[in-house]
Amino acid sequence: MDLAVLPEIVFWGLYAGCIYILLAVGLNLIFGVMRVVNFAHGELMVLAIYITFFLHNILDLNPYLAFALSIISMFFVGVGIERVCFRPIMGTGKLNEIFMSLALIYLIQNSIFITCNNVDFCNDLNRIRSPLGYEEISFGFMELGADHVVIICVTISLVVMLYLFMKKTSTGKAMMATSQNREVAMLTGINVERMDMLAFGLGSSFAAAASLFWISEIPFTPYSGSINAIKAFAVIILGGLGSISGAIAGGLIYGVAENISAYLFGGGWKHATSFIILIIVLIIRPTGLFGEKEE
Amino acid sequence: MKHVVICTILLAALAIPYLPVAVTQFLPFKGASLLGFLILMYAFIMFASAWNLLTYSGQGSLGHAAFLGIGAYTSAIILRYLKPEPLLFNSINLEVILTVMAGGLAASIVGVFIGLTCVRLREWFLGMVTFGFAIIISTITTELRDITGGHDGLPTKHLVAATDFLSRYKMEYYIILAFTVVVIYLIHRILRSKLGLAFEAIRENELEAKVMGINTVKYKLIGFALSAFFSGIAGALMYHHIGYLTPEVFSVENSFKPIIYCIAGGLFTVEGPVLGTVIISALWDGLKSLGLMHEHLVIIGLLLIIIVIFLPKGLVSLLKKVGRKSDAKV
Repeated sequence: MDLAVLPEIVFWGLYAGCIYILLAVGLNLIFGVMRVVNFAHGELMVLAIYITFFLHNILDLNPYLAFALSIISMFFVGVGIERVCFRPIMGTGKLNEIFMSLALIYLIQNSIFITCNNVDFCNDLNRIRSPLGYEEISFGFMELGADHVVIICVTISLVVMLYLFMKKTSTGKAMMATSQNREVAMLTGINVERMDMLAFGLGSSFAAAASLFWISEIPFTPYSGSINAIKAFAVIILGGLGSISGAIAGGLIYGVAENISAYLFGGGWKHATSFIILIIVLIIRPTGLFGEKEE
Repeated sequence: MKHVVICTILLAALAIPYLPVAVTQFLPFKGASLLGFLILMYAFIMFASAWNLLTYSGQGSLGHAAFLGIGAYTSAIILRYLKPEPLLFNSINLEVILTVMAGGLAASIVGVFIGLTCVRLREWFLGMVTFGFAIIISTITTELRDITGGHDGLPTKHLVAATDFLSRYKMEYYIILAFTVVVIYLIHRILRSKLGLAFEAIRENELEAKVMGINTVKYKLIGFALSAFFSGIAGALMYHHIGYLTPEVFSVENSFKPIIYCIAGGLFTVEGPVLGTVIISALWDGLKSLGLMHEHLVIIGLLLIIIVIFLPKGLVSLLKKVGRKSDAKV
């Protein structure tokens, strides 16, 4: 292995980790409050990409403005999904929740596909052109595309904002309380069902934020999301369920490990590497890196 | 009453290849494509029942396609590279039946290995590790290009050595039907035996089961081995029928389908996976063959949401409700 390229591989790994961080933080929020795992999280991300895409193409909005609007609209989509799909089945068993999210995967993917099949501009290359284009910012040791800098800044600021929201505002504290102990939270007068809705909405917004990666010139299809969501779930398992810092650490570990393995063994091993790491970590620590010990 | 229903279903299944054209012309599938659909459906019934057996023992798997694929690849590779002497019996390739069993055994050995790494894990952690194993095994299979043919895959030998397309399908239909009936009967017996009781005890409360003197690790591994064995058989049969095997067998869809079928039908019952597979796969492929290429998945998605909201215990609970009402009338 050529050591000169190592910093670059690690940097792009950390960059790729940002997508896992955004997806994993959203999933973790939903899991922490509702104890539901939403396998359709990747489909929410794809939905957000298409909302951005449509706003950009029909209203001719700046992609970054369209992106901000899609984050806001995904909050309401998330609230709707929680209200219609997940609330009726809460408490009927974990497998029913998996089942519901699998049903949502089929529904969302193919609804998008059918809608796009009937729209002209979708038949061109499915991509959004960033207004920043090929502009580059020099950092002395390496040159970075302006889009990449924006993505990294947005990821960091969103996670910091979430952290402040959870620690400083009373709604955030109520959400923390719900995720720590639902019954006691209910007894102290917290409306836990509203917390569920809020958590799902915020989680969906974070999924929408992860769609930022597709705005910088990566082509997409309605089926782009699934594997990313499952790996984001592997990230929060690796970090420990319910732990935000675990999600961040897990996301960065995955990004770097995948990039190094792709460099060493070729792209085919990318997905396998991340799961090999997961299995080794779980054999040593069955509750993940930052997970709490079972009672 | 129950025996009458089972016998009727069996007789109907036996008669299907001899249905007159006047009947089949109203179905979305005709002739050989009807048989082809039913053969895959039976294989999936076995697969879903095997997944259900693992769930019955309080474990779960999001990567059951791993066992499906290992069964299929083992059987195909043995036939391709060891080239055993053909054993013909009424044009059935008996050596293929033997390698199908070998495929099941290989799957159960891998199953025990995966089970060993999962003994300490619970719920989501277990699900994610099994999903990971499916991805890892799929990658290894794709990368061993010299043996498995990589992405291009490799041809598999048919179960029946008949030149005529329709008569091959008919024979394979009966072979796979026989396998399905035996597998379901075995699973029924397992769940009724002491083993099944131990599984149930572990599922309800692992700590209490341990206190009662049940060796939970041993029974969990047995659960993995049995479930993987039946899945391996189902996979090998499926791909000997199709005639071609690629790493697509490890796809996420194959891992998720038994989950969908089992939960739609009803978990922890013998008839649940059967009912779920029959209804959902008939809708799935029926709508598809009517020309609804993507619309059918939207309809299926909506239907699954309705099922899980209104029948959280699966379609079986609907049958029970109807049965109870008719009993009350009598």
